[in-house]
Amino acid sequence: MLCDQLSSRERWDALIRGDSLDRVPCLQFMLGHTAVVNGKPIAKAYDDAATSLSCQRNAMELYGHDGLVMHGWANSGGAEFGGEIEFPYRKYTGAPMMKRNPVQSEADAWALKVPEDFLSVGTIPVALEFSRLQNELGMPVTIQVGSPLTWAGSVCGEERLMLWIMKKPELVHHVLGIITDFILKKAEYWVKTFGAERLMAFDLCIETNKLYSPKQFETFAFPYLREIHDQLTAAGVAIFLTHICGEQNKNLPFWSQLSYGKRGMISVGKEVALSAASAAFPDCVIMGNVDPVIVQEGSPEDVLALCKASIEEGKVHPGGYALMTGCEVPPQAPPVNVGQMVPACREFGRY
Amino acid sequence: MLDEATILERLSRAVMDGDEDAATQAANDAVGAGMDPQRAIMEGLAAGMAEMGRLYEEGECYVPELMVSSEALYAGLAILRPLVVQSASGAIDRGVAVIGAVQGDIHDIGKNLVKMMLEVSGLAVHDLGRDVEMDAFIDECMKVKADLLCLSALMTTTIIAIKDYLPVFKAKLPGTKIMIGGAPLNQRLADEWGADGYGENAMEAARVAIRLLEG
Repeated sequence: MLCDQLSSRERWDALIRGDSLDRVPCLQFMLGHTAVVNGKPIAKAYDDAATSLSCQRNAMELYGHDGLVMHGWANSGGAEFGGEIEFPYRKYTGAPMMKRNPVQSEADAWALKVPEDFLSVGTIPVALEFSRLQNELGMPVTIQVGSPLTWAGSVCGEERLMLWIMKKPELVHHVLGIITDFILKKAEYWVKTFGAERLMAFDLCIETNKLYSPKQFETFAFPYLREIHDQLTAAGVAIFLTHICGEQNKNLPFWSQLSYGKRGMISVGKEVALSAASAAFPDCVIMGNVDPVIVQEGSPEDVLALCKASIEEGKVHPGGYALMTGCEVPPQAPPVNVGQMVPACREFGRY
Repeated sequence: MLDEATILERLSRAVMDGDEDAATQAANDAVGAGMDPQRAIMEGLAAGMAEMGRLYEEGECYVPELMVSSEALYAGLAILRPLVVQSASGAIDRGVAVIGAVQGDIHDIGKNLVKMMLEVSGLAVHDLGRDVEMDAFIDECMKVKADLLCLSALMTTTIIAIKDYLPVFKAKLPGTKIMIGGAPLNQRLADEWGADGYGENAMEAARVAIRLLEG
């Protein structure tokens, strides 16, 4: 067994500063899985800030990951605008899901407003408590800031949103504008409360080219993402972590135009080659792209082989590279499979 | 009076344009011209949807475009389908399918597209919706004597429901072919778990379904 020369904290700090590293870091976005390995219901990773943070820190230590600890999920937004959400307590559920979208009609959409008491709506209280705990522990304080189009699916329902994109584009722009205002209002509070220099803003974005055309991405996703990234960068937020979920190769030219503060961290799925991500984001850390389905359904040997391939492709990236799954670690992934990732970094990721 | 070729072209074009009003008008014209409604469906509406499916597979159109096309398709079907008499005019009756997004999964865009493609391919489809209790699939398949069961899952947690229940479905529904689909799934998992078929997208799912039922 090869020994590490840096602690996880030192490796994270070096990655963020762009300093040299002893080996490829291993970062993971995992919430539900951390609850499972702590013997808690998956829902606790989402609806209970203290338990979520504790589970994530325990799992990080168990596996030897160098990060990430954060609270959020892709299908956010609906609950904050008055929708009904179900947390994953039932069998086979793995993440919060919308039971009723707040927007059911065009009239609902036109009437959509940023909630006055925005700190008390939906899951904002849990997110805020999570950030307070991160701050007390001296950790990076995370805040989910996107993407507005992904959130619009949660607010309106995906099918309704898609039909409106074709038939009522002005209505979709109205909804996206309100969601963007909400995200910026929330971010402004986070900046004021914790300080911009302490924040790591993150996007979870599912606008894949299996769903949307690059033109639709350019029209309905990109302008709002740019507004958020520009405003937060101007406010002094230094770190952005953006998960570009799924098949988004045709969207990369737009993603690469966004501002990512002093340190952008780009996570890609198995559908986007790390070499393509490297070319699109030469100055950002890139992360990925081990197939999470293999991490759940494959053997430890399968996982190790995928990690090796990712590390060999990613470690030459000049902006820095971290091994990660191509999406959230599946909640029910066998721990022995998840446990292959740090040893892979030690064996194949030496600098 | 419009000739049949023109009406078929208008039905097909209305679907491709996602134009519900044009689909309704063309369907009414088909009725007025005394066309065989099943032919108007298959060679007009379904042909337009098949072309949209081809464009999707080639990356020339995307799901929002398919959505508006499906609305036009259903507008035309609402007029023509009640006129189809199964025993006459050579109506296509390829079998009965049950479909749904499995327990714990509320993602149903793909499932709805598969349902539409199965319907235009000549299957009677019973849609159980989303977040469907696994036992409900068995009950419905028995009730309607399903030839085909289509299970959709978009999450790593919900594909486990499919893996867990496939042996149960196979045991309790011996005469029913079982297909699976959804982003985390693939042919390898379908084979490993004992599913009869897998479709990477709605268009392929319809092709596989027809092959299974005719095989």
